[in-house]
Amino acid sequence: MSLSTEPAAVAAQAPAVDLIIDARDVVKTYRTDDVVVNALRGVSISVKRGEMVAIMGPSGCGKTTLLNCLSGLDSIDGGLILINGEDINKMSDNKRTEFRARQMGFVFQFYNLLPVLSAVENVELPLLVSGTKVREAREKAESALDLVSLRDWAKHKPSQLSGGQRQRVTIARALVNRPAIVWGDEPTGDLDTENASAIMDLIVGLNQRHAQTFVIVTHAPEVAARCHRIVHMKDGQIVREELLNGATR
Amino acid sequence: MSELFGLSMTYIMIALLCVLAVALATVGYVLVRNRIMFMVGVRNIPRRRAQTVLIIIGLMLSTLIIATAFSIGDTVEYSITNQAYDRLHSIDEVVQAATDSENNDPFVGAGLVSPLPIPEGQAAQFTESFREMDGVDGALPLLRAPVPVSNAAKGQTEPLAILMGLDTSQMAGFESDIETTAGERVTLDALAEREIYVNEAAAEELDVAPGDVLTLYVGGEPHEFTAKAIVKDRVLTGALFGQANGLAMPLDRAQALFGREGEVDMIVVSNDGGVRAGMERSDEITDRLNEKMFGTAWQAAPSKKDVVDSASETSSFMVTFFVVLGLFSIAAGMMLIFLIFVMLAAERKTEMGMIRAVGTKRNHLVQMFMSEGMVYNVGAAAVGCLLGIAVSMVMIDIMARMFAEFDLSIRFHVTPRSLVVSYSVGVVLTFLTVTFSSWRIGALNIVSAIRDVPDPPAAHERPNDGHGLRGMLRIAKWLIVKPSTWRQWLGGAGILILAPVQAALVVVCFMAADAIYGTSAAGGVLAVLLGVIGGTFAVSAFVTLLLGLNYIFQAGTMAMVLGALLIVLGLHWEQAAPYAGGITLALLGLALTLVQLGAPNRPVFTTMGIALLVYWLLAAGAHIPPDLDGGIELFFLSGISMVLSATFVLVYNADLMLGLFTRLGAVSAGLVPSIRTAVAYPLANKFRTGMTIAMISLVMFALVMMSTMNSNFDKLFDDEDAQGGYDVVVTENPANPIADLRAALADAPPPSATATPFDPGVIARVDSLSVANGISARVSNAGGEQDFKAWPIYGLTPGFIEGNGLKFQARATGYDSDAAVWEAIAADPGLAVVDAFAIPGDGFNDPGAFSVDGIEPTDKTFDPVTLTIHDSATGRTRDITLIGVLTTRASGLYTGLFISPEAFTSTFERPESTVHFVKLNEGADANTAARGIERTLLAQGVQADSLRQLIDDFRAQSQAFLYLIQGFMGIGLFVGIAAVGVIAFRTVVERRQQIGMLRAIGYSRRAVAISFIMESSFTALLGIVSGIALALLLAYQLVNTDDFVPGGVDSFYIPWVQIVAVGGFAFLASLIMTIIPSRQASSIPIAEALRYE
Repeated sequence: MSLSTEPAAVAAQAPAVDLIIDARDVVKTYRTDDVVVNALRGVSISVKRGEMVAIMGPSGCGKTTLLNCLSGLDSIDGGLILINGEDINKMSDNKRTEFRARQMGFVFQFYNLLPVLSAVENVELPLLVSGTKVREAREKAESALDLVSLRDWAKHKPSQLSGGQRQRVTIARALVNRPAIVWGDEPTGDLDTENASAIMDLIVGLNQRHAQTFVIVTHAPEVAARCHRIVHMKDGQIVREELLNGATR
Repeated sequence: MSELFGLSMTYIMIALLCVLAVALATVGYVLVRNRIMFMVGVRNIPRRRAQTVLIIIGLMLSTLIIATAFSIGDTVEYSITNQAYDRLHSIDEVVQAATDSENNDPFVGAGLVSPLPIPEGQAAQFTESFREMDGVDGALPLLRAPVPVSNAAKGQTEPLAILMGLDTSQMAGFESDIETTAGERVTLDALAEREIYVNEAAAEELDVAPGDVLTLYVGGEPHEFTAKAIVKDRVLTGALFGQANGLAMPLDRAQALFGREGEVDMIVVSNDGGVRAGMERSDEITDRLNEKMFGTAWQAAPSKKDVVDSASETSSFMVTFFVVLGLFSIAAGMMLIFLIFVMLAAERKTEMGMIRAVGTKRNHLVQMFMSEGMVYNVGAAAVGCLLGIAVSMVMIDIMARMFAEFDLSIRFHVTPRSLVVSYSVGVVLTFLTVTFSSWRIGALNIVSAIRDVPDPPAAHERPNDGHGLRGMLRIAKWLIVKPSTWRQWLGGAGILILAPVQAALVVVCFMAADAIYGTSAAGGVLAVLLGVIGGTFAVSAFVTLLLGLNYIFQAGTMAMVLGALLIVLGLHWEQAAPYAGGITLALLGLALTLVQLGAPNRPVFTTMGIALLVYWLLAAGAHIPPDLDGGIELFFLSGISMVLSATFVLVYNADLMLGLFTRLGAVSAGLVPSIRTAVAYPLANKFRTGMTIAMISLVMFALVMMSTMNSNFDKLFDDEDAQGGYDVVVTENPANPIADLRAALADAPPPSATATPFDPGVIARVDSLSVANGISARVSNAGGEQDFKAWPIYGLTPGFIEGNGLKFQARATGYDSDAAVWEAIAADPGLAVVDAFAIPGDGFNDPGAFSVDGIEPTDKTFDPVTLTIHDSATGRTRDITLIGVLTTRASGLYTGLFISPEAFTSTFERPESTVHFVKLNEGADANTAARGIERTLLAQGVQADSLRQLIDDFRAQSQAFLYLIQGFMGIGLFVGIAAVGVIAFRTVVERRQQIGMLRAIGYSRRAVAISFIMESSFTALLGIVSGIALALLLAYQLVNTDDFVPGGVDSFYIPWVQIVAVGGFAFLASLIMTIIPSRQASSIPIAEALRYE
């Protein structure tokens, strides 16, 4: 079912033309007062368009940092990150923000929905920041909620939804812009087993239907098992990769 | 300032220090017994420095306002008192014609000519006997005469100076009163035959130097004197209060000059003990002086003590006035303190939950917040005191310029006692607010707090079991009361029982305070302390009563019942405040009850808000019965009630504005996301948003209301009616009476060869009024125990009756027109008319001033009222019948009681002086004519003014003072601005993770910053616009009532410039307060923000 290989070898073998994410020797260091933390120590990773990749590892190994750096949420201290062939660290803050709005969607562990907006208003936010007209944004947001089976809950505020429903709203928000890449940081971390499974069903289904790329940070083996590849990290480095579900390099 | 509300300031200070000590001791107790709670509280302070600064600003504002009020009070007292000591110097008592009333100060605002001079022989007897008295070190007879003076060499003329003639043989005890500006004592004996002393004020006006020749005009004849020296401004050198120009010479020469040989105007008495200490025995010495003069027509008065006491009363009034004006700001400040602590509690909800979870009690949380609040408090109050001094210095500088022309030198002065009182009041007020806030926020659900989720709803669910009558009864019970077990009933009853116990303690404290106040210094302190304790018990009893009722009754039912009770009391007492307050409370209760029954919030609170607004506006406009009495308290009650109502309407309907904002955003699509979040947050946090809107709205309401009412009042005088049909007023010098102004102008020689001669041809008509002597003329309501008071009394002349254009706001029954009133007065000498200010209205009235009984300011007709006029000089009394009240417009210039010529002569014999009113031909300039008349009649010392110019000057002065007051009230705007800032800083912290998410999904830094700025603007704008709109609506209603001016105003004037300036300032300041937090928000690192919990 799986094929284990050394990370360096996997990176070297990756055909460049098919890659949506291409990161090489990424270094990230945090400095607070006298403490220096080397969060990422020369990480190289590439992801194919339409691939689902899980990043696993113990707490503090640098999973979320890697996701933040790859998605342009955080800056890097060394290395190169190409998204769709563009070096995101060379972009200005405004351009990177715009790039994120058009190319990326995010699903967080704690949903991070705005509590003061209804479900549909939360979902349409990425469209509005991309300049979509208000009416069109509303239609697309409702369609996105339809996709996650929450159309009837469109007017509800996050506090009126269950954890699973909130995460589905988050997924709708992540997908409403039809982004090329969806980043998930522990998307099922705050859900029970049943809801977690349902969310993964949804993500896998969306990945299969829309060929969107998913990069998911997770502690849960059952989540990782639904992906095409698992990247294992330890101490700021990728130590091992697994290909799953018939995935090939 | 020595007294406030009749209580010694020293006692007040000591009592407040005791209360302050209790507050500090409470926190000290926490420090000793629960050090950890104290430290948890205090260590929060340096966590967010910018927020700490804003909290200190919020907490210091009450102290700032109080310190400003006290500093102004101290300054006013110091300035007036200082002037009294300086001018009266050795004089402690004055003997002159008996006035039969308390107001008989010869040097302040009364007549310039003695109505009953003292024969010199009589004066000699008096002074001799006075000097023999224990405690008296001098008694001096003097002559006082108004006289025009010119300094021909310098081309300067002064129509009015006071010449003092002093008996040089009796100067013992007054030697230090006449000294040169260099401080050298001089004597009148040193003056040669044609020499005179000129005081500093006159020397400045006339540009006099020693050796200059001055011309004094007496009876129109010039008399030349050489200025021997410039002497200090003292009463004995002619410097009175409000009229400082003076001259001094020996008594015999003054008598010869004015042809008044053998008489003096008064005797001044000096007590042992110097300028200040001599005053201490003034009351006792005055009594003994009066015993010596018993049975004569003269009496003594403690003049210096009267002026000093009056200064204390004036300063006490100023403090009360400014504190009252600052009440809106103080109320807003206390709301801000409450809001700050609620927000601090929200920020630390999880921490508080954890603290409770590990075993601490609710009171530990209270102690924690109280400790933190007290540390802020002691620092903030100190800053408030210092800033209060700075603000008052600026205000006093402006006041000094305004009062300079009223001969009052205002110099900044503040006593340490006032600062201690301001500091203590500020700390105690804040301590009470912080303690209440801490107690409120200490009540939390531990699990919800730890999980940082909303508290579960209170368990007072609507009963749904039971049907029919039983079911209805259960619902009725649920609607009215909360307890469902005997234990809960007993708990509520236990709290309620405490209220009457505390009320009894209030009575005991006040009775004990009343009994011991004034017995000794210690007794005074103890009495004030007991008063403060009693006051605290009174507040506590009220709060306990409310808590007990709230424990037993549902809030809606309780509000309705209390409202109904207030309505009944209001009707019973015929007072509008309890009645209108009751209506407000009852409607609020009804809304709460409907919501309790399950009605949706928005329609219920919107309807309630609108209903209350309509009620208050209609009631203010006197459009709905009943017609009840009300005073200044209605201003506060209406402001708070209307702001509360409007805030309900706004916070429950602001989402409708979202559409408007979104449409606005459609113009620029890039703004839509920012607008979306900017509007959503304030709408979601209704309490916080409502409090901020209310704070800003309250202060804006007060400012706009004040400004609009004053502007409309000011506009009343911008009307020809105010001039009474004349253009120029000519006031003669009593020493140079003018019987016929036209003839005097025709006969007068040209003022100088080069000056353009005045053309009497511009005069269309001249009429005159006789002026009764202000020292001896008194008036009282007739019948019962007569209380004679000073009020200007004028004798009409046939010409004035025929030629004036004065109008009436009220006429006695039977007089159908203004002309009918004047015709009746011409025919019946027993009739009279009076100005509108003699009719008492609501608001700040001087209780010592004369007021007519039986006529209301809103009356258009009234039954004729009988008044009694009295002249203490002639001893005559006469009843007259009032048949007209002049319009408010005309009353500004024509203030007084106007009686027929016959009534005047029969009571007062002769006028002190005559005032001439000149009507000019069409096209003639009043200012030019006034200057021409004054120049032509220089030798007579007349003073001529354009009536329009007088009105404009008066308006300018009163407007300047009102701007000053508005500036003071505007301090409250900083409360609203600080609130916007506090909330903006807090929201950045609270929404850190959400900001990270927004940035992650594509919000640019700019979009985040704009969203924050728009959010604050949205709240500030709602508060500003609602305050302005409410004030304009209420002002419109009020100025169109008969209370403002009978018949209402012709057109409603809106001072847009002031409103836009104040509103614009508030808005811009709010924006500035948001810039720093919005920049913080936009520059938060995204990944870090997403990790934030």
